[in-house]
Amino acid sequence: MDLTALPIAEVTDEGVKGAGKAIALGVGAGLGSIGAGIGVGFIFGKEIESVARQPEMKSELESIRWLGFALTEAVAFYTFIFGLIAFFLS
Amino acid sequence: MSTKTKVLLGFGIYLASAIALLLIFGSDGKNDHFKPQNEFKLEEWVPIHLGPLDLSINKAVLYLFLASALTIAAMTWIARRMAEKPNRVQTAVELAYDLTRNNITGGNMDAKQAARWFPFLGALFFFIWFSNMIGFLPLPVNTEHTVSIFGLELPALAIYAATANISIPLILTLVVWFSYHVEGIRAKGFVPYFKGWLPPGLEEMNPIGRGAIFTIEVISHFVRLISLSVRLFANILAGHLLLLFMGGGLAVLLGIAALGALTFPLAFAFFIFEVGLVATLQAFIFSTLTAIYLGGATAAEH
Repeated sequence: MDLTALPIAEVTDEGVKGAGKAIALGVGAGLGSIGAGIGVGFIFGKEIESVARQPEMKSELESIRWLGFALTEAVAFYTFIFGLIAFFLS
Repeated sequence: MSTKTKVLLGFGIYLASAIALLLIFGSDGKNDHFKPQNEFKLEEWVPIHLGPLDLSINKAVLYLFLASALTIAAMTWIARRMAEKPNRVQTAVELAYDLTRNNITGGNMDAKQAARWFPFLGALFFFIWFSNMIGFLPLPVNTEHTVSIFGLELPALAIYAATANISIPLILTLVVWFSYHVEGIRAKGFVPYFKGWLPPGLEEMNPIGRGAIFTIEVISHFVRLISLSVRLFANILAGHLLLLFMGGGLAVLLGIAALGALTFPLAFAFFIFEVGLVATLQAFIFSTLTAIYLGGATAAEH
């Protein structure tokens, strides 16, 4: 499909352009944070549950917990970075 | 005075000071001079251009040199003066060494391979850790804005990290990506290695389905390039941006002084979070994932 045929590419008004960029950053970072927040909560919740069931596994679960935390948390930053790209670099 | 009253009083002073500032100074309107992205701009200090190659010395290169020098110096210094009765620094370094050796490397690959790859993974961990940590020390690197001290023009203090620039995490990721493929091909042979990408239990599947799954696996290997580099880069960049905005950048950008009073205590909280958790955690994650990829490439089956 020809992208220039879409009205989105024809915007010349600076105000509308700025608003679009701000919405891109806000929606991108905001929605990304929702997903990562749920994920991080889930990981810590499950870890608490596992330790409550088997306290002797605590030390082994610790490194897996941080691994899961960092992997999930990074998802928020992917959207944040693309929001920043949309805001500053486009 | 009970603890509850103290907390309420502190919170009241915090809110009241923000409201008072808002009433006194009001809003100056949006500030168009301050560009937050310029905090991450790289100014050429020593221009070196080889044709299209730009090898200029700039802020990021300085941080890179600093991190490598610190890694080498700290580790050799500790190794030289190893004592029977370890002092506090030696204990801390031994803990970190133990973490990289037994947890990161030993936990994800077999003993023979771990002995071969431990120097690489240990160096990777310490290098990323040092480069994240010096990113939170204010150093005089901001040559765009200078401070005049007794007539001497000195660069302003600024925080920056080599890992907050996509090029450094990306080159580390490329090294990791190529080395685990080479290691896998060396351990299994060329065709068996790529066959090993298919998950086990698909022997009875028709060729089209297996081809589709193989395509997904190929994509997943390329996504690792993005996820590994962007994870480190975005975490550090977002941390620095948060510190910038909370530490007054937002107040300057929007021209509302009261906002500064509200966000400044948060800057301390984020600073502790970044230094205490994120800097170490990202170094740990990067080297752990490298170890997992290396171990997975040579494992008999997934």
